[in-house]
Amino acid sequence: MKQYILEAKNISKSFGNVRALEDVNFYLEKGIIHGLLGENGAGKSSLMNVLSGIYQPEKGSIFVNNIKQTNLNPEYASELGIGMVHQEFRLIESFSIQDNLTLSKSNIYRDDFKNAFEKYSEIFSLSVNPEKTISELSVGEKQKIEIMKLIFNNSSIMLLDEPTAVLTPQETDQLKNSLKRLSEEDEKTIVLISHKLKEIREFTETVFVMKNGEMVAENLLTENVTDNNLIELMMGHIKKSVIDKSNKVGDAKLNIKSVEYVDKVNNYKLLDNINFEIKAGEILGIAGVSGNGQVELANIISGIQVDYSGEIFINGQDVSGKGVKSRKKLNLSYIPENRLGVGLAPGVSILDNSIVKDYFKTRRGPHLSKTKTKTYLENLINTFSIKAPDSKAEISTLSGGNMQKLLMGRELISKPEVIIASQPTRGLDVNAVEAIHNLLVDQRDGGSAILLISEDLDELFKLSNRLLVMYEGKIVKSFDINNADINNVGLAMAGVIE
Amino acid sequence: MIDIQLIGLFNATLQAATLLFIAALGELITEKSGILNLGVEGMISVGAVTGFMTAVNTENIFLAVLVGVLSSSAFASIHALVTVVLKQDQTVSGLILTILGLALSSLLGKNYVGKKLVTKLEGVTSVTDPSSILEVLISQNIIFYLAVLLMFITSFVLKHTMFGRRLEAVGEDSRSSDSMGLKVAKTQFIATCVGGAFAGLSGVYLTLSYVPYWTDNMTSGRGWIALALVIFGGWKPYRTALGALLFGFLEALVPRLQTYGFELSPYIVKITPYVITILVLVILTIYKGGKTGAPKNIGVPFFRENR
Amino acid sequence: MNNLKLFKRQSINELSTFYSFLIGFVIAIFIGSIILLVQDKNPIDTFSLMLRLSVGSINSLSSSLNKAIPLILAGLGISIMNSVKLWNIGAEGQIFLGAIAVNYLYINTQFNSPTLHIFVLLIAGFAGGSLCILIPAITKVVFGVNEIITTLLTNYIVFGITIFLINGPWKDPKSLNFPAAAYVGEEVFLPTIFGKLSLGFLICILFTALAHYLKNKSVFGFEMRIAGGSALTAVYAGINARQKAFIAMLIGGGFAGLAGAIELLSQTHRVSTGISQGFGYTAIIVAAITGMRPLGIFLVGCLFGALSIGGSVIQTIGVSAYISDIIQASTLFGALIIQFFFTYQIKKVEND
Repeated sequence: MKQYILEAKNISKSFGNVRALEDVNFYLEKGIIHGLLGENGAGKSSLMNVLSGIYQPEKGSIFVNNIKQTNLNPEYASELGIGMVHQEFRLIESFSIQDNLTLSKSNIYRDDFKNAFEKYSEIFSLSVNPEKTISELSVGEKQKIEIMKLIFNNSSIMLLDEPTAVLTPQETDQLKNSLKRLSEEDEKTIVLISHKLKEIREFTETVFVMKNGEMVAENLLTENVTDNNLIELMMGHIKKSVIDKSNKVGDAKLNIKSVEYVDKVNNYKLLDNINFEIKAGEILGIAGVSGNGQVELANIISGIQVDYSGEIFINGQDVSGKGVKSRKKLNLSYIPENRLGVGLAPGVSILDNSIVKDYFKTRRGPHLSKTKTKTYLENLINTFSIKAPDSKAEISTLSGGNMQKLLMGRELISKPEVIIASQPTRGLDVNAVEAIHNLLVDQRDGGSAILLISEDLDELFKLSNRLLVMYEGKIVKSFDINNADINNVGLAMAGVIE
Repeated sequence: MIDIQLIGLFNATLQAATLLFIAALGELITEKSGILNLGVEGMISVGAVTGFMTAVNTENIFLAVLVGVLSSSAFASIHALVTVVLKQDQTVSGLILTILGLALSSLLGKNYVGKKLVTKLEGVTSVTDPSSILEVLISQNIIFYLAVLLMFITSFVLKHTMFGRRLEAVGEDSRSSDSMGLKVAKTQFIATCVGGAFAGLSGVYLTLSYVPYWTDNMTSGRGWIALALVIFGGWKPYRTALGALLFGFLEALVPRLQTYGFELSPYIVKITPYVITILVLVILTIYKGGKTGAPKNIGVPFFRENR
Repeated sequence: MNNLKLFKRQSINELSTFYSFLIGFVIAIFIGSIILLVQDKNPIDTFSLMLRLSVGSINSLSSSLNKAIPLILAGLGISIMNSVKLWNIGAEGQIFLGAIAVNYLYINTQFNSPTLHIFVLLIAGFAGGSLCILIPAITKVVFGVNEIITTLLTNYIVFGITIFLINGPWKDPKSLNFPAAAYVGEEVFLPTIFGKLSLGFLICILFTALAHYLKNKSVFGFEMRIAGGSALTAVYAGINARQKAFIAMLIGGGFAGLAGAIELLSQTHRVSTGISQGFGYTAIIVAAITGMRPLGIFLVGCLFGALSIGGSVIQTIGVSAYISDIIQASTLFGALIIQFFFTYQIKKVEND
C-alpha cells in the first residue's frame, strides 16, 4: 500500500438542507501536484475548507501522516503543514507584504525573511518591495503572495482553490512553472482546483474528479486519461445543449456611443471609447479577465454610475443623463455580477428582495400592498421554479442557485427590452447554470437585446451571437461567433492582438 | 498672579487628560481587535466604585487600585462573552453594559455616598502645591506616570511585536487572520478585557485622586468622550493622547474662565467639549475622505463557517 | 471520539425574540433576587410589593402606563431609525429638546383655543426632537460621520442647554432650591382619560400603530429596509439611501421629542432636569429587546414602565431604585445570550 501524506475518508458536510459533500474520499502523495476537477458547485472548495479546518464535517475522518486528526481547526491545520489559498484573497489589505507573510505562528522565515523572500520572489517571478502594502499590488501579484504565504508558513500540503481564475494566460504559465519547481525542489504536495481541462492537463500528475458533492473518480494518472473521459466524469450524462442561433434579429435596442469613464483619483481611463449596439433577439457577449472595465460598463449602462461621457440609447431614446429609475421604466434589466450585496440586499427578507425591481408597480400611494407583493413573489417562484419555502426568511438562507434564479426571475418577468447579465452563472451548479442559460435564451427569443458579460468562455461561445473582448477598458477585438476561435479570443483577453 | 493660575490650569489639564486618556487607550486596544465596546462609561463607573469601596474599607490604596482594575475587567468580560463567544450585536451589548454599569455602581456605592477617603492616591513626590511646570510634572500620582508608560508600551506593542500585529490583523480582517491560524476569538476576548482593565484604572483615578469621593453618575459622560477620543486619534495612541490633552484642557478651563474675566455662562462653556468633538469628527471625516483609520472589521461578529 | 461543534441554524424560530425576552426576564428576576438577598431583603416580598405598587390599583397602574409613554415613543423612534441600520443613542437629548421647544413656543405665542394650543405644542415637541437630531443627521448623510457618537454627544449638549435655561433665562424665581422653568398654565395640561392616565397614552397607541404601518406596510418602510440592508442594492434599485436615512433620523428624533412634550404637558408641567430620568437610554433596551418591533416595544414599554414605578416606590423600604435598571439591563443581556441558542446550534460531531 502506498503511503499518503494526507488521507480523508468518508467526509460528509451539509449546509442546512444542502448537501455539500457526500461520503468523499481524498488522498495525497508527497511531492506531487494533484488536480481536483469539477464544475462550479461540485464541492471542491467545501472539501478544501474541511481539510484546512475551516468547515467541520458531520462525518468522516482525516489522517495526516497516518495520524488521525480529530480536532482540526485552521490553527492546528497550519501547524500540521496544511495551507490553503482561497478563491477570495485572505490577505490583510492594509498590512505590508512582510507582515502578511510572517503573521502566522507556524512561520519559519521570520528571522531570515530577506533571503527567503528573495529566493521565492525568483521562483514566482515577482519583483516587489516587501514593505509595500497589499492594497498597492496587482491581482496577479496578490495571488503570488497568497501562495508564497503558504510556503512561509511551512505548509507542506498546499491546497490551491482556483488560483488561475484571476490570472492572465501568461501569469498562469508562470504559475505552472513555479508550482512545478516547488513540488520538485521543496517536495511540496500540491492540490490544484480547476474546472479547466487544459490546466489540469498541464499542471498535474494525478487527478480527482468531483460532481454534485461526490468524488466520481480518484487518483487517475493525468497522462492516461482523455479529455472526453474527464468531461464525462465531470458533467455526467448531462449533455450541454447546443443553442440555435438562427432566430430572427430585429432593430437595435441598445446603442452605446463613445462611452468613456475616468477614475478621477488616479486619472486613469477605466473605459475608453466604447461603442456597440445590440439588436432585438441578439446576445452580445463580452469576454475579458475580470477587472478590465466590465463592472464599470454594466454600471454605466444601468445608470448606477453617472459621471461618464458619451451617449447611451435604449430603444432609440437618449438616456445618457438619466438615472436608474428612468432607465428601468424603459424596461432595462440588470443582473449584476455581485449577486448578494448589489442585486439582492443581505439581511433583508426574500419577499422584500423579490420586489426590488418593480416595487413601484405594487404600491398604492405610500402603501405597499402585502397581498400584491406576495402574489408577485409566488408568481416568480412558480415561473422560475425557485425553492424558497419561507418568504419572510432572510435572502441568504437560499442556496446560490435559488438566489440567482430569484434575481434573474425578478429582472426577467417583465419581458425586458434590454438585459445586462453580468457573470450570471458564477458559482452555480450544472443544473442551475443550464436553467439560467435557458432563461436567457427564452428572453432572446422573446425579442430582448442581451449584453452577456462573462469570464466563462464556454458560456460565451454557447450563448452569444457576437463576441467583444475587453482589455484595459477598451474593446480590443470583436468576433462573429461563427468565425470565432477560442485561442484567438484567449489571446485578445490577455491583450495580445496580432 | 497669572502664573500660578496658568500652572494650576496646566496641572488640572494633565489630570483631566489622564482620566480620559487611560479609558480611551483601553478602548483603542479593544477596537483594534475588531470589537466595539460602547460600555466604557459603565466600566469606568464599576472600576471607580469598587476601587473607592476597597479604599474606604481597607485603607490599602494599592489593593483598591487592583480591585478597581480587576472588577472592571471582569465586567468587560460580559461584553466579550456576549459579542465574541455568543456573536451578538456589539452596539446593543455595549450600550447595555453602560446602563448596567451605571446602575450597578450606584447600587454598590449607595452606602458610600458622602464617605471620605482616609488615604487617597498621593503624588509621587512631596510637592503638593506645584509652582512651576516642572513641579507639576513631577508631582502627579503614580497612575499618571503609568498612563504615560502605557501609551509608549501600547504603541510599541501594536507596531513592533507579533502579538500587536496579530491583534491588529484580527481587527482588520478576521477571516484572513483565521485562515492564517490566528486565534480570533481569544485575541478579541483578551483585548476586550484589557480595555476593561484600562477603563477600571481610569475609574480608580477618578475616585481615588481626581475627585476623592463617590456620587451617582460621577463619570458624567467621560466614557463617551473617551470613545470619541479614539476616533479623534485615528486609532493611534499618541494622537489619542493629544486629543485627551485638548479635552482635558477644556474641562480644566471651564471652572477658571470667570477668573480670567470671561462673562460666558459656565453652563454653556461646559458643553464646548462635546460641540468640539462633533466638529472634530466632521473635519476628520471630510479631511480623511472617509479613511478614518478605523479597523475594517470593527463591529462585525466573526463566525468561521459564514459563507 | 465525539466533539462539540458550533453550527449556524438555517432557519430561526419566528418567536425566538419573544422566547429570548421571556427567559431573559426570568434570568433578570433571578439576578435581582440575588441582589436583594445580599441586601437582606426578601425577594418574594419585595417583588410582590413592587407588583402591587405598580399595577395593583387604578392609580398605580395609570402611573405605570404614564411612565411607559416616553419609553414607548422613544423606543419607536429608535426602531424606525434601525430600519436603515442606524442607531439613535440621543433619545435622551431629544426628549429634553422636545420639552424645551414646547416651553419656548408656550412662552412666545398666544392661542385662544386650548385644544389647538395643545396640538401645536405637541407638534413643537416633535419638531424639537427632529431639530435635536438634525446635526447628527446632516453629518451622517453628508459626511458619513458615525451617528452613534454624534447622537450621544448631543445628549450632553442639550442637557447643558437645559441647565443653562433653567438657571438663567427661564429660571423661575419662585423655585428657590430646585432650578426649573416656570410652570405652564393649566389650560395646556394634557387631559387625563382614566384615573391618572394621561391622554398621552392614546397618542402613544396611535404612534405605535403609525410606526408599525411605516415600518411594515409602507413603501417608505420597504425602501428603508433595502437602504439599510445594502447601500449598493439601494443605488441599484434607484432608491436614494441618504434621503431615506435622513428622513428616518428626523422621524426618530421627532418621536422622542414628542415624548418630551407629553412629559412636560402631563407630568412635570415645567422644564427641569426631571423631564427625563434616563428614558432615552432605557428606550434603547426596550427597542433592542423586542427586535425593533413596534408592537413589542409597546408591550415591553408598559412592562418597563411598571418596573420603574415599582423600583421607585420600593425605595421607601430601603431598596435602591436602581434594582429596576439592573433588571431591565439584565433582561436584555439574558435575552442576547438566549438568542445565541436560537441562531446557533451546538452539535456532536462523529469522527468515525
